[in-house]
Amino acid sequence: MTQGQPLLAVQEALKKCFPVVEEQQGLWQSTLRDCQPLLTSLSNLAEQLQAAQNLRFEDVPSLRSFPDLKERLRRKQLEAGDTVLDKLEESLATLLKVRDTVSSHVEQVLQIYEQHADTISIDAVLQASVVSPSVADMLEWLQDIERHYRSSYLKRKYLLSSIQWEDLANIQALPKAWDRISEDEHEDLVQDILLNVSFFLEE
Amino acid sequence: MVAWGIGEFPQEVTSSPYFQPLKVVKVLQVKLCGAIKLGQDPAISANTLGSVTPRKPVLSVSARKIKDNAADWHNLILKWEALSDAGFATANNIANTKVSLLSKDRTELESSDGHAEKTHPEYSEELEELCEQLRATLDGLTKIQVKMEKLSSTTKGVCELENYHYGAEGGRPVLFHTWPTAHFYEVSRQLSDMYGKELRLKRAIAEELAHSTDHDLTLNYLSLWLHQPYVDGDSKLLLESMLLETGHRAL
Repeated sequence: MTQGQPLLAVQEALKKCFPVVEEQQGLWQSTLRDCQPLLTSLSNLAEQLQAAQNLRFEDVPSLRSFPDLKERLRRKQLEAGDTVLDKLEESLATLLKVRDTVSSHVEQVLQIYEQHADTISIDAVLQASVVSPSVADMLEWLQDIERHYRSSYLKRKYLLSSIQWEDLANIQALPKAWDRISEDEHEDLVQDILLNVSFFLEE
Repeated sequence: MVAWGIGEFPQEVTSSPYFQPLKVVKVLQVKLCGAIKLGQDPAISANTLGSVTPRKPVLSVSARKIKDNAADWHNLILKWEALSDAGFATANNIANTKVSLLSKDRTELESSDGHAEKTHPEYSEELEELCEQLRATLDGLTKIQVKMEKLSSTTKGVCELENYHYGAEGGRPVLFHTWPTAHFYEVSRQLSDMYGKELRLKRAIAEELAHSTDHDLTLNYLSLWLHQPYVDGDSKLLLESMLLETGHRAL
């Protein structure tokens, strides 16, 4: 009884935490999806800016009669770019919120475990069943998840902060760089872990 | 190779969410018009109602005209944006069709060893059709711009009427909140000029786009069509402040 109670408390905490992760993962994924078309837009704008730089407007008879056309076009293109960047900033803020929400919930679970660590036997912590992974595994997975969000967020933030309108080639390569982060960061990790705990959560 | 996937242009940037059609309340206002006694000097009624007009159902004839014009401005710009977007889609198609035609011509030339007679290089019915479509869009834009010019000239007319009534010295009524009537004309004039220049540019693009064989030039034509460099960013501010002043938008 005294042996079972603390373990139960940790399992309860885990059962509360994983659904939060699941919900946050949904938000994370949809936010990442929303970023795709924005990055494509930026990449296209960079291509347009590059094309405008390559062209001498005064050499084009049909455009010669339009005063300060090149400057006006550039201003409009950069304005459009800023609008897209603002939206990306919003997405980044959402990703940060996901990261922090998950972190604080994981921290709570770990705190509860630490409170009871002395009274739970190692065997109990390591014991897995057909439907339930061991508490040790699940605690480790939560830490993996937390690390994943931290690292993925940081890389994306770094990528977006590297955007400069002087470096058009970099902006044109943004969609690919964004996808590469997803590949490197194993965006399936969270989904896989949630599958592993699905029976445990239904218990 | 259909190269640059311009279909992904940030369209949402050009079509602002706050552009909802305003109802032009002309029918109602015709009735209100009847409420003003025939022969009554519109300027006098404007005078007596001056400070509270926006909330009062009865506006002076001049104020009513100006208020209708403001709604017309809003709706015309809305139509312009829609047509411009449709035109962009067509222009984009023209550019892509042109690119694939050019590459087809090139491969045919190479494979035929230069013997076969080139029937119509760079010509295709599809391209012709698209150009026709763009011409139709341009006609639509032209009509809108003519209406814009008309709005400016009627606003000017209202100003001249006011000048006639009040002469050179001041003391004119403010029709709505704060704007002197002449300011409506200035705003109308500025907007008309912007769209006039933009129309000229779009016409040049429509004429040249299908003839361009240079990738950068084509891309620039498309970008120019999309970003409307002569419609200044503050045109929205001008329009919105006119709608606020005339009471179409709540303060």
